[in-house]
Amino acid sequence: MNKQPKKSPPVPPQTGFIKILHGLIIISLFLMMGSGLQIYNATPVFGGKSGWTFPKWATLGDWLAGGRNWHFTTMWVFAFTLLIYGIYILLTQRWKRKFVSGQDLQALKVGQNPKRRTYAWHRIIYTAIIPVLLIAIVSGLAMYKPAQFHLLSWLFIDWQTLRTVHFMTVPISLLFVFVHIMMGIRSGGIRLTQSMFRP
Amino acid sequence: MNQLNRRQAIQLLGMSSIGYFLGSCTNDLTTQVGNLSEPLNQSFGELLVRSQGLIPEFSASVIDPKALLINTYDLTPKIDPIDYKLVIDGEVKFPTELNLFNLKKLPFASMIMQHVCVEGWAAIVQWGGIRLRDLAQIVQPKAGVRYVLFGSADKYTDSWDLASALHPQTLLAYQMNGQPLPVENGAPLRLAAPIKLGYKQSKWVTKISFVSQIPQGGKGYWEEQGYEWFGGI
Repeated sequence: MNKQPKKSPPVPPQTGFIKILHGLIIISLFLMMGSGLQIYNATPVFGGKSGWTFPKWATLGDWLAGGRNWHFTTMWVFAFTLLIYGIYILLTQRWKRKFVSGQDLQALKVGQNPKRRTYAWHRIIYTAIIPVLLIAIVSGLAMYKPAQFHLLSWLFIDWQTLRTVHFMTVPISLLFVFVHIMMGIRSGGIRLTQSMFRP
Repeated sequence: MNQLNRRQAIQLLGMSSIGYFLGSCTNDLTTQVGNLSEPLNQSFGELLVRSQGLIPEFSASVIDPKALLINTYDLTPKIDPIDYKLVIDGEVKFPTELNLFNLKKLPFASMIMQHVCVEGWAAIVQWGGIRLRDLAQIVQPKAGVRYVLFGSADKYTDSWDLASALHPQTLLAYQMNGQPLPVENGAPLRLAAPIKLGYKQSKWVTKISFVSQIPQGGKGYWEEQGYEWFGGI
């Protein structure tokens, strides 16, 4: 080790590009969830036709075909934003600095500094949402074109499992949004949160 | 039940009017959003149908007869198998009419596929019948044909792209799960294909027309109400 971990400044400067991607992911994620719940209601994943349905205010698109319109339009925005974000992370080597690393795990294991521990948790949580969003896309694709992408569908065992996995990304994402906001405020104050939204 | 106080009543009124406002304005927006992505989604679907060969079949042990729900838009028509005729016409060299006896003399094809409903449920079913491409061979569609229209005894209509209709796994089925096709599942003859959503798979098919253009209002019963036309899976 020739490099000591640098102490991060309290408010990291966010590039405009990242702010736009972050905003697009938030908007498209919520459009995907609202329209997804509309589609869910046509045949609830749990309980089938007689299962509990989501209230109308939580859904988008008025009826099944409208929900599908939103879902299959927004999916392109959602997937391509994540793709561009992925390419950006690779090109800028952001994954080395901004995501969870061994140092964070070390800080949680032996660290005494409560601020450093909070920061480590914050990084673990926002790193963990990436695979969840990717699973949402992969399971969605497997359900959108189950015949053409039969290998993807096959990965998810059967239709009910596939639907369940795809649906579970909704509560997980909602929980993430809540925890991410709280942890952001705890580790960097409201100024950190604002830095991601202010132009 | 506790009664609402005035403040709660006003709040509820406010919320429901916002809901009403949003509801009426998302309606148009929803249609526009659909129109925005449909050409893209359709090209994506067509690309997959063109580049793909056969869809792998399922094993007989996973057939689940109970999972196949019956969705019929109107009444179940009464068809006497003796009188039944399938009309095949449109822009074809040899328009024809076939009765069940003629149809069952054509090469038999069987497949075990996943039937996927737009509503989100799916069922693994065995279908047996004839390939639509074998019927096309008999009537010989002319060069400009791009679509196939399906008319049913219950007045349900639908239309397909030619490539999907000529897919080797697109069947006109008269057998289901090893038994003669039940009337509520579309007897005597229904469409069955692993590459399209359930609403594309007309039951009680009585007319097949090969055409170069879909007539105004003829995309299909559900498609005219807003379901996507291509409906590929």
